[in-house]
Amino acid sequence: MAEPKASARPGEKADILIIGAGPSGSVAAKHLAQAGFSVVTLEQGHWPDANNFPGRKPEFELLSQKQWHPNPNVRDMPRDYPVDTSDSDINPLMFAGVGGSTTLYAGHWTPFLPSDFRVRTLDGIANDWPFTYEDLLPFLEEIEHEVGVSGLPGNPAYPPQKAFPTPALPIGKVGRKAAEGLDKLGWHWWPGTNAIPSLPYNGLNACVRRGTCMTGCPEGAKSTANITYWPHATKAGARLVTGARVREIEVDERGLATGAVYIDENGRERRQRASAVILCANGVGTPRLLLLSKSARFPDGLANSSGMVGKRLMMHPFSAVLGVYEDPLDGWQGPFGQMIDSFQFYETDEKRGFVRGAKWGAMPGGGPLSATSFVGSRIFADGGERVEDAWGENLHKMVDRRFNHQLVYGIIGEDLPEESNQVVLDPKLTDTDGIPAPKLLYRCSENSANMLKFHVDRCLEAVEAAGAIETHVVHQVRDTGWHLLGTTTMGADPRTSVVNEWGRTHDVPNLFIFDGSTFPTSGGVNPTATIMSVALRQTKHLIANRHSMEAA
Amino acid sequence: MLSDSDRETFGAMADVIVPAWERMPSATAVGVHKGLLDAVLRARPDLSEGVESAIAACRGVAPSKALNALFQSDRSAFDAFTLAVTGGYYMDPTVRGLLGYPGQESPPYDPMETPAYLTDGLLERVTRRGAIYKPTPR
Repeated sequence: MAEPKASARPGEKADILIIGAGPSGSVAAKHLAQAGFSVVTLEQGHWPDANNFPGRKPEFELLSQKQWHPNPNVRDMPRDYPVDTSDSDINPLMFAGVGGSTTLYAGHWTPFLPSDFRVRTLDGIANDWPFTYEDLLPFLEEIEHEVGVSGLPGNPAYPPQKAFPTPALPIGKVGRKAAEGLDKLGWHWWPGTNAIPSLPYNGLNACVRRGTCMTGCPEGAKSTANITYWPHATKAGARLVTGARVREIEVDERGLATGAVYIDENGRERRQRASAVILCANGVGTPRLLLLSKSARFPDGLANSSGMVGKRLMMHPFSAVLGVYEDPLDGWQGPFGQMIDSFQFYETDEKRGFVRGAKWGAMPGGGPLSATSFVGSRIFADGGERVEDAWGENLHKMVDRRFNHQLVYGIIGEDLPEESNQVVLDPKLTDTDGIPAPKLLYRCSENSANMLKFHVDRCLEAVEAAGAIETHVVHQVRDTGWHLLGTTTMGADPRTSVVNEWGRTHDVPNLFIFDGSTFPTSGGVNPTATIMSVALRQTKHLIANRHSMEAA
Repeated sequence: MLSDSDRETFGAMADVIVPAWERMPSATAVGVHKGLLDAVLRARPDLSEGVESAIAACRGVAPSKALNALFQSDRSAFDAFTLAVTGGYYMDPTVRGLLGYPGQESPPYDPMETPAYLTDGLLERVTRRGAIYKPTPR
């Protein structure tokens, strides 16, 4: 590849085309542009407008259940593509826009642990990663200082590492209550580490604890790439095209990627040429695009000689435990990132009847409508045969008991990779541009079911140890597919994996994938920290090897 | 556009969902069938169809009987109706005041202040138990 230049004009061939301006694509765009590459990024959504985020509005809770729901099928907005979930136990959650799905994430910052990279060696399952926790740690520490993480160092659930750039956020009465229960049992807990700074940092304002993180932060205090990455990327010359929905990655007669065809905001078909292409469209969007990019040379989809594109989908089965207390907990106060977390049962203990484990995060209860709902979905509603069983005076009594008195534990269980869980193209459903939509084929495994049952039972012990007077459990919540992983798996063998350890596809030497779809396993934690760290590792390798890279 | 009659029907049904109880006012006492309903439908126009269906199904029938029939026959309309009622009710400043809910406020805090869990031994007990992760096998 020739010596790069700083920027590409509209219509001009770029050194690098990135598809997707979420966390991984934004890391790549910033660092590549700063290294002198001309970079064009195509993003199907738009720049988020913090004035539109509903957190300061009285209608906040109503809006969180529709326009700002994390499920694109519920939002049903023009820039969202629909997903056929009729054969899936879990609904995928995502957001199209600069910053990607982090626009609606809670900001839980939980890097993968050392064992997550070595599950074959330790537990005899799935695959080890091509690199270790220690290999990734320098990239994680760099990312944490770009993101503006808040947290307290010294967590015994992790090896020692550099301090976080801003102090931990208050754990509030909710975190204190949860911690007291864990303390009585002698179990691990730690103040939440969040991608939400407690002090102004890298363009972010300090968190004001409004507690509306999952519908976009109106304060500009939750770390999303539109704030922490794109100002640096564009200053370095990167170009970002929004409202650009990619339909196909094109290849030349040598089998090299030459760029992408996309539909612009006005419905016109356009083409962006590039010497190399990096896919960062998440664990559903990335395999969808590869499967859409069929040609005579690649009849089963691009980079799919292994047949693994779309397979091994992992979404983290999730259960929720609600505890109600006598004491008022100021349950509407944030952050709606995690107040505290617990890794007490994260590592494998085969006596439990399953392998791997889960992380627990304690979160506040929210406003009055949240007495029966969690992140926009009405999962804690009481049943009954007659309307008056759950409404009328019983509604008042329930709100009186729960509102301001509840906390919710989210339990994220490690999802093991299975080839039967996959993303395919739907034969009928399309997006608003007529491009075939994805369909998910996904079933929670027996290991996941056993894991969640064990963890829910232990979690109930924890909320009761803290003095809960009422508890509720929702097993395998359906609207919880925040973490879309595994569908273009990373590995050394081209027969069983899609990309190598540096994110380069085995089949197309100038096509890369830097998002979470390359993860060989899922861990049992929120993956954004690891997604961004892996993206930085791959980006720096690409930069260091620019002269030997094949280019179209 | 809802007529006065529609709003009257909506209000009568709304008082089944949210009646007066102890310190709390009924739905119609705070106007969930009036300005609050307009505010709800401005925020959530997708609820209009279900609300209108619920009103049409329940007009002229005793409210409790009508709602129980709707609950069995058209769950989508029932869900839209109950969300419109409770969404409006819990937006009302009087109701929020009675519940002690200030809305999604921004309470002040000092991030440099030493948290109580660092001085009262709560976190020290966790630290003292030592590392719990499995290190990378060598």
